[in-house]
Amino acid sequence: MNIYLLSALFCLVFLFATVELIRRRKLQEQYALLWLLLGFVMAGFSLFPQLLERISRAVHIVYAPSLLFLIGLLCSLVLILHLTIVISRLHRRVTRLIQELALMQERERRGGRA
Amino acid sequence: MKLLIIIPAYNEEDSIVRVISSVNVWREDADIVVVNDGSTDRTGERAEATGKAAVIHMPLNVGIGGAMQTGYRYAARGGYDVAVQLDGDGQHEAQELDKLLAPLLAGEADCCIGSRFLHKTDYRSSWSRRLGIRFFSWMVHWMTGAKATDPTSGFRAVNRKVIELFAADYPEDYPEVEAIVLLRQRGFRLAETSVRMHERQSGESSITPLKSMYYMAKVSLAVLMTRLRGEGGAL
Repeated sequence: MNIYLLSALFCLVFLFATVELIRRRKLQEQYALLWLLLGFVMAGFSLFPQLLERISRAVHIVYAPSLLFLIGLLCSLVLILHLTIVISRLHRRVTRLIQELALMQERERRGGRA
Repeated sequence: MKLLIIIPAYNEEDSIVRVISSVNVWREDADIVVVNDGSTDRTGERAEATGKAAVIHMPLNVGIGGAMQTGYRYAARGGYDVAVQLDGDGQHEAQELDKLLAPLLAGEADCCIGSRFLHKTDYRSSWSRRLGIRFFSWMVHWMTGAKATDPTSGFRAVNRKVIELFAADYPEDYPEVEAIVLLRQRGFRLAETSVRMHERQSGESSITPLKSMYYMAKVSLAVLMTRLRGEGGAL
C-alpha cells in the first residue's frame, strides 16, 4: 500500500464524513464548502499522482508527496483563518444581542413600575 | 438640554451608591443610568435601591466597551443631547462635571475628555502606567494630529452626534484610546479639560503585568486599524 492509495482512501472517507455532517445539519453548508474543496483537491492529487508529480517537478520539489503535505497545510491555515473570522462575527452579534436584551429588560421593568 | 450620565459598573458595590449620590448632588438635572456589567456582587441591587438611577443589567459580562455602548444606545433612544461617561469605581469627581460639559455647551467641541495631565493635579500613579499613557498620547498625535494628554481617561462628555456614532460603533475592550481615533477619523472636534481624579476607592484594578502587555498590543493594533479604515469602516 503506497502513500497515494492511503491518502486517496483517507480523502474519500473525509469527504463522505463531511457530506454526512452536512446532511445531519451538524455542519452548515457555508462553512462546509472549504472542507469539501480541500477534500476534493487532496483526493484528486492522490488518485492521479502523475498530476502531482508534474507540478512537483515544475516547482522543484524532489519528493512529490511533500507537495501534498504543503497543500494540506496551507488549506488548513486558510480554514483556521476562516474560523477566526466566523468567531469574530459571532462575537459581535452576541454582544449586540446581550446589549439589546439588557435594554429591553430595563424598559420592561420601568414600564411595569409606572 | 437633556443630559445623561452613564456609569459603567462591574463589581463596585462599595462605591456605586456614593458615585450616584454625588452625581445627583452636583447635577440634579441629569438622568443617571448605571450599566451593571454582569456584576457578581450587589452592585445592581444597591444602584437600584438609590432610586435615583435607571439600572441596565447586562445578563452576561460583556466588558467595558460593550457595557459603555449599551449606555450610548440607551442615550440614543432616550433622545439625550449630551451624555457623560463616569466610572462606577469613584475615581471620577462629579464635581468636575460642569467643567467637562462647558466646551460642549459652548458648541466648541463634540467630545470633551477629562484629563489628569493637562495641568498639574495631585493625581499620582506608577511610572509604568504614566509611560503607557504617554505612549498612547504620542500614538494618537502621530495617527490623527490630535492632542490628547490623557487618552485612556474614561471621564468624557459627548454631544448628540457622537452618541449616535457610539450607539452604532464602539470599540470592544479597552475602548478609550480607540474611541478618540475613531472620533478624529470621522471629523469630530475634541477638547480636553483638566480634572482631578482619585486612585480607585475600592474594588480591584483589572491590570496585571500580562494584561498590560495585552492591553498595549491590542490598543496599538486597534488604533492603527481604525486609522487605516479611514472615513468608512462602519460595521
